[in-house]
Amino acid sequence: MSCTADTHCITCSDEGVPMRVVTALEDGLARCEADGAESDVMIDLVGAVSPGDDLLVHAGVALARLA
Amino acid sequence: MKYVDEYRDAELGRVLSGEIMATVEPGREYKIMEVCGGHTHTIYKYGVDDLLPANVELVHGPGCPVCVIPMGRVDDGIAVAHVPGVIFTCFGDMMRVPGGSGTLLDAKAQGADVRMVYSPLDALRIARENPDREVVFFAVGFETTAPSTALTLKRAKAEGISNFTCFSNHVTIVPPLRALLESPDLRLDGFIGPGHVSTVVGARPFEFIPADYGKPVVISGFEPLDLLQSVYMVLRQLVEGRCEVENQYARVVPQDGNPAALAVLEEVFELRPHFEWRGLGFISHSGLKLSEAYRDLDAELRFEVPGVRVADPKACQCGEVLKGVIKPWECKVFGTACTPERPIGTCMVSSEGACAAYYNYGRFAREREVV
Repeated sequence: MSCTADTHCITCSDEGVPMRVVTALEDGLARCEADGAESDVMIDLVGAVSPGDDLLVHAGVALARLA
Repeated sequence: MKYVDEYRDAELGRVLSGEIMATVEPGREYKIMEVCGGHTHTIYKYGVDDLLPANVELVHGPGCPVCVIPMGRVDDGIAVAHVPGVIFTCFGDMMRVPGGSGTLLDAKAQGADVRMVYSPLDALRIARENPDREVVFFAVGFETTAPSTALTLKRAKAEGISNFTCFSNHVTIVPPLRALLESPDLRLDGFIGPGHVSTVVGARPFEFIPADYGKPVVISGFEPLDLLQSVYMVLRQLVEGRCEVENQYARVVPQDGNPAALAVLEEVFELRPHFEWRGLGFISHSGLKLSEAYRDLDAELRFEVPGVRVADPKACQCGEVLKGVIKPWECKVFGTACTPERPIGTCMVSSEGACAAYYNYGRFAREREVV
């Protein structure tokens, strides 16, 4: 449940996970994937995204595009 | 994996290590603080410090938001979690942080409905699915995390979800850095700046460090090569007598940050007059509360929050560790009474905490011999 030594702590202010857009959803969300796991990410801070775009994600929000 | 593997290349690491060795001046000691807990974690996970000369010391700063939460705020959260009908949500590590009367995990064991979430959006989903319950999100984090909370609160407001509130413990990075720099027992030569906080706020907020205190800052990424290069860049500034903010993490950090993130922070939050930091005491304008426009979603206004103040345990020296005055293994309870399984201090709770990072990667054994 809590993070282990092998993983970054999600609480850490500075955790950032590179994720790839799988599908752009409605309502400012995108389904993204990293290491086989998918989750919905808010894209308000990076604008419109397309499948295949790489994003830096923190706590459910894309902070930046990776390019 | 793209954007990861290329920054973990061992051969390049050895080259950078060689350049660092060639840069340092013999007989001169260099103390560099990495502000961010994520950097601390990388340093010990990958043994970055083993690639540095003996006269370059990395000091671990206050940039783990779990580690700086005072015990009283945990107790306040526990009090809200025990209110009948409340679903209390928080990030995983927060559940193990000891307050004066136990942890949120203890509260869960006693019957409170405490749930771990990976993002504030998850907490909002729980609120949507449980319209007859009050869902509280216990928010922690610096400017990196605060936009996620702010965007979620905007969604809650737009959707008219009235059973969702936020207990904000969000903090800002600049005031504690200034407080550290004013600390008389602190001796540092330069800083490795927080990368993802800077994605939001940009590089400019750190310009006061070279301007007012004459110390170099290099904003760094989180892979081992990022950190090695950042150490090298700080050392180059010191050796060349320069003093400025440099951006090693330019592939992600824009000079001016993310304007959309700054705008949503401005809309949803406002600065508290002061906020208590574990080990650092009260720091002016360092905490964020919900703005007037969002007061209806403020858990501190909806629930009776006791406003507990609890002194840190005497044996615990988290404060000195957070200020970089002592190394984790110099704390009297490190690895004995205080372990990741049963932490006394917050630095041992989060894997970003300096004590947990030392403990988990076995650093205390080798370094104790040096004492």
